[in-house]
Amino acid sequence: MSTSDQFGELLEAYALGALDAPERSALEAHLATNCPECTTALAEARWLVSQLAYSAPEAAPSALLRGRLMKIVGEEAARKEATQKYSIRSTQTPLRTFKPTVPYWMWAAVAALLVVALYSTWDARRLSDEMRDINARAMAELNSREKIEEELGAVRREAVILADPASVKIALATGEANARPLQAAWHAQLGIVVSGQKIPPPPGQRVLQLWLIPKAAGAKPVPSQVVRPDENGNFVLLVSNPPELTADTKALAVTEEPAGGSPQPTTTPKWVGGVVLSDTKD
Amino acid sequence: MHISRGSLIHCLPYFVFVVAGLPRGRRNYHPIPVFLAALSPKPDDGDAADATLVRQLLQRDMRAFEQLYDRYGRLVYGLVFRIVQQAGTAEEIVQDVFLQLWRNAARYDALRGPFLPWLLTMARNRALDNLRLKSERQRRREDQTEELPSICAVPQFEKELDQKRRASRIRELLTSLQPQQKRAIELAYFEGLTHTEIADTLQEPLGTVKSWIRNGLLRLREGLQATT
Repeated sequence: MSTSDQFGELLEAYALGALDAPERSALEAHLATNCPECTTALAEARWLVSQLAYSAPEAAPSALLRGRLMKIVGEEAARKEATQKYSIRSTQTPLRTFKPTVPYWMWAAVAALLVVALYSTWDARRLSDEMRDINARAMAELNSREKIEEELGAVRREAVILADPASVKIALATGEANARPLQAAWHAQLGIVVSGQKIPPPPGQRVLQLWLIPKAAGAKPVPSQVVRPDENGNFVLLVSNPPELTADTKALAVTEEPAGGSPQPTTTPKWVGGVVLSDTKD
Repeated sequence: MHISRGSLIHCLPYFVFVVAGLPRGRRNYHPIPVFLAALSPKPDDGDAADATLVRQLLQRDMRAFEQLYDRYGRLVYGLVFRIVQQAGTAEEIVQDVFLQLWRNAARYDALRGPFLPWLLTMARNRALDNLRLKSERQRRREDQTEELPSICAVPQFEKELDQKRRASRIRELLTSLQPQQKRAIELAYFEGLTHTEIADTLQEPLGTVKSWIRNGLLRLREGLQATT
């Protein structure tokens, strides 16, 4: 018996998978020599063994199995087709190499959100500017109102000072021929009001300054408020915090001084009026 | 534009085909290519036709896959069910086998043998692997599994038989064997037992079992050769 005959007897069992390990190893070593007879015979033995499948009892798988298989295969085929279409499109437009992992509607949603965010930012900034303007206008209105109230308070105070019988009325006469006298009223608690009409304005930026002349010998004049008549030559000067003791003041005087006033008179008084108390008078 | 009565009559089969296809409720139903495919001659039920269908799988041709499943699904299921004896497990294995065919059709090489034995060998190995997972023989059997694809050749005497006639003939030939001889072959093929294991199972001498199997397979071969 030749080697081929010896191993040829094992080929059907080998194809069947029935050989035990020692015989199987020996046969495989022989097959590794590429024996043409055994190789051909083994190929036919494999076919013969495969025919045993027909001896299995007939049985049919459920229709669900076919449905599952076709569904899986259909989905995989569709994915493959989509990938191929995209790869073709990619080769046609090589600059666009990104993968469309995000659906287009999502890009549209992101773009819409971006537009909304930009608009909201712009609108918020616009509203903030408007609020700032409104606040500025409100502050200006408030300041204006405070100023008006302050002016109104001053006017009321001036009116009270002028109307109150307790106020000391003082006429400030002038030595200049073309100048008109000034009128003053001094209320011990509310202050001094000095007013003038059709008074020629001082030259340049110069102002009129009120002075309180003390009775005490050698005492220096006490500087008070400054004022500049308007274009019609009118002015009202209110001194809210004059010295409490009216009796210590001998007279009121008004001089021309540089802008802002002076601590000491720099010119001769243009208007002077003596303070004459009622009690003294009586 | 004038449409003659004759042209309408010639188009009648197509209209019938279209209307017949509508109730299927298929999405993407394109009647013209389906109609033309129905008119084209079907491939013969032979190895060449199988090889053609497998080549079409490489092009992701679902119709080729459907044809292969419809042609061999029952046979493969019958074999796997015979081995694992559980319908659910058998369906899982058959699904794996056909999905492997779909995904790895390139592994089949027509030059190394016909398609069906390759498919049946793959299904049998999968089913036996499933059995081995449950048995103590698993470790020993793992290195015995043949690597696919193995060369397989159809003998020259092979005649074209349809599946039913072939199954009938194989069963007839196996039934003609001695019962013990038939049992030994079945233990080897459907349960994956070796000579020694079969001898232990049947309580017969090892040499006797070897002879039964070899002679039984030779008789099967002769029987198929004698089939006209």
